[in-house]
Amino acid sequence: MEQMETEVLIIGGGVLGAAVARELSRYKVDVILVEKEADFGWGSTKTNMCIVCQGGDTLEFRPEYHRSKLVWDSIPLMELLCQELDVPFKRVGELALIRNNEELGKFRKLKSKAEKFGLAGHQFIDQDTLRQMEPNITREAIAALYDPNIAIVDPVRLTIALIENAGQNGVKVMRETEVLNISQKGNQFEVGTNRGSMKCRFIVNAAGTSVDKIARLVNSDDFVLYPIRGYVGILDKNLGDLIKHEIHMRPDAPGQMNILTPSVHGNLFFGTTMQPARRGDYSTTRRIAQIGLQNVRKIIPDLSEKDIIHSFAGFLMFRNWEVGWHECVVQASRKVSRFISICIGYPGVSAAPGTGREVAELLRREGLRLESNPGFSPFRKASPNFSKLSEEQQKELIAQDSRYGHVVCRCETVTEGEIVEAVRRGATTLDGIKFRTRAGMGRCQGGFCTPRVTKILGRELGLPEEKITKKGRKSRLLLYKTKELLGGEL
Amino acid sequence: MKFSDVDVAVIGSGPAGMAAAIKAKEEGAEHVLILERQEQLGGLLHQCVHNGFGLLYFGQDLTGPEYACRFVEKVRDLGIEVLLETMVTQISVDRKLTAVNSREGPIHLQPKSIVLAMGCRERSRGQLSIPGTRPAGIFTAGTAQRLVNVEGFIPGKKVVILGSGDIGMIMARRLSLEGVEVKAVVEILPYVGGLIRNEVQCLHDFDIPLLLEHTVTQIHGEQRVEAVTLAKVDKNKRPVDGTEQNIECDTLLLSVGLIPENELSRMAGVDLDPLAGGPVVDERRETNIPGIFAGGNVVHVHDLVDDVSWEAEIAGAWAARLPQKGDLEKKGKTILRPGRNIRSIVPQTISDQSDVTFYIRVKEMEEKVRLRIGDIYHRAFRVVKPSEMIKVDLLKKELKRLKERTTELDVECEKGE
Repeated sequence: MEQMETEVLIIGGGVLGAAVARELSRYKVDVILVEKEADFGWGSTKTNMCIVCQGGDTLEFRPEYHRSKLVWDSIPLMELLCQELDVPFKRVGELALIRNNEELGKFRKLKSKAEKFGLAGHQFIDQDTLRQMEPNITREAIAALYDPNIAIVDPVRLTIALIENAGQNGVKVMRETEVLNISQKGNQFEVGTNRGSMKCRFIVNAAGTSVDKIARLVNSDDFVLYPIRGYVGILDKNLGDLIKHEIHMRPDAPGQMNILTPSVHGNLFFGTTMQPARRGDYSTTRRIAQIGLQNVRKIIPDLSEKDIIHSFAGFLMFRNWEVGWHECVVQASRKVSRFISICIGYPGVSAAPGTGREVAELLRREGLRLESNPGFSPFRKASPNFSKLSEEQQKELIAQDSRYGHVVCRCETVTEGEIVEAVRRGATTLDGIKFRTRAGMGRCQGGFCTPRVTKILGRELGLPEEKITKKGRKSRLLLYKTKELLGGEL
Repeated sequence: MKFSDVDVAVIGSGPAGMAAAIKAKEEGAEHVLILERQEQLGGLLHQCVHNGFGLLYFGQDLTGPEYACRFVEKVRDLGIEVLLETMVTQISVDRKLTAVNSREGPIHLQPKSIVLAMGCRERSRGQLSIPGTRPAGIFTAGTAQRLVNVEGFIPGKKVVILGSGDIGMIMARRLSLEGVEVKAVVEILPYVGGLIRNEVQCLHDFDIPLLLEHTVTQIHGEQRVEAVTLAKVDKNKRPVDGTEQNIECDTLLLSVGLIPENELSRMAGVDLDPLAGGPVVDERRETNIPGIFAGGNVVHVHDLVDDVSWEAEIAGAWAARLPQKGDLEKKGKTILRPGRNIRSIVPQTISDQSDVTFYIRVKEMEEKVRLRIGDIYHRAFRVVKPSEMIKVDLLKKELKRLKERTTELDVECEKGE
């Protein structure tokens, strides 16, 4: 890489970095965004499940926190943003289940708090109405607090859409680029990466689980963050109709949470534990899986282990008790000029649009000139999603490109045309294809399509199939050719 | 081809689909159409380059592709219509079928009868919830089989195989022949999951370690699999503390069970049997939806390909008769109820008193038992195992002994001779 130069460098291509990039693309500013992984939104973003807080649920996190403000700022922005970026946004509503008088009391307080802050629409639902709304949930729930505002999105798709729109408007994006060191020379930063160095005047540190490490590279350690590991399970699409609303139950043990929610793609997601863990240890354990199943069964009693098609662990960064667990970092460094760190913890996706705006304002205060970009377009078009199209649209698409008639992933009905388009837009890995098209996300978990997608990736990228990886770096899928290990000639 | 006048549409062209289509054509159906999602006829047979196919059906020891070719030739000779690279996306309760391919785009059919022959798929890691990281290098045995035998790639050099299903054992041998070090085949049960002949020919003959009553308790490695932890299990299949050992490997293959592939059946409103995994069928292999039949591994997972083809032929024959007769007369309905130590029984119902073959799978290995079907049949077994399907032929005259209006028949394994 030759020496690059830019005004603003954004470190991290999660939902927050992407939102900042997109916000800055409204202005005539040179921006580069670097992401250390092979694709966007693979860190905390993906762990954020898919729920967009729309008000009441943030109240538990104390209204005086900066984070609450960012979420509230984002509420009126999110739906419009999803429309502009052509990504799914569905207002499903939340039912917070109430099992006894103690819980009823807590929710009463919450409701009056919500009303005090002008968040409308919360109402108590009696047992009969609850049964009608959600016939499959536990009989233990005697009532529920209903918040009709809660919505769901696909956080990774939202992130990719933000990046694509930022790209259209002039932001440069580099993947598999990891920041290794930062030094200051005059009014510039010199940033060393695994792909060479670059110069910039402003840094937005949106490095997710590494945000504190990146801050330490410039000795700007004015905050302490703790990695908290969450566990997410995904249920088979066949069970997609079990619930219609996001269901929340108060956890029975500390360090747990109990949420079951529809996703925009039809699967149900559940999240169950939030516990401190060694950073970077993404492994799941038998115990956590068992707790997960036990907890989700408190909501839907007859779920079985076999209904879970996938599970994974992810990290969110939380602040310390003194500042408040539910406080965030969105601030210019007190020690280093022109260096801004952002980390929301939870709910980062919900706070992203507001955070984007706030960071632009912080940069302005640090001396960045924000002159509006006359070429800015807020609109980005999603790539075709074959299975969701009408038959007329399907016909038209196949007539334009016959590869849209070739189904590659049978579980999710993903066509070759969609995979080729995902590569054209930047996917380079099997997981990249998975998050962008859902090929391999269905109940067979890639058993059928993995060899086929690998082949298409190789062909489209002009690489031998042995070079194709699951998720970049050293995650190659096929290590040898047949007969290669026998020592004979090929 | 006119899609409007299909008599019998067969979904899938593996050993079940082709056999059903051929039989339907032979039984007089005029327009028989096979819909296949892959590039060629044969389903998974092409990746099964090992032998052992057709011992019963053809009386010869064939490889998978050879077995497929025999049927492919017949499909061609009989003038059965074929749509390749065509995915059926929907079947409605009234037998409206939607498919899509690159040439025709969306296709609509209204066949007079449909044979479901979609086969089965492998259970994935997610369904097992194996703890650990999410690196590259975890494949189901069947995916690995395709990679090696069709695509020409070897996933890795040091392999652990979890589960001793037939494909897992066959891949243990196949990979050994490629110079791969198969470190162990790990089975949670006290006996192998697949056929004894595969245990002998694939594992023992190649000195591949078989660890019974063990399981994988953790997967290690961030980018690529680096090791797995194995542990002994107790009688309840729970890992025993202190028995863990780490095995260095770059690949983990899973051969932990097959699941009949019934997404389309569900859309069509076909009732599924949770025990067998596939549609509830009668002895004609007709489902609860009139005109929709099913045969082969989509109904229940067989041990031998020969049985897959035979069962699908029953479905094909009756699917052909329906368009000719307009209605299939049924005399009654008797439900077979799985009792003690019976996992599943197919067909689940009988509607006529003609000859019928029952396929029965037990839940657990048991010695010295007597298999009983109501009071019309019993047979003693020295040993019964879940990995070996029991076939019971009941002749018309034996079924005649059924009392009139018998609505339920208990099937069970009695202890003792």
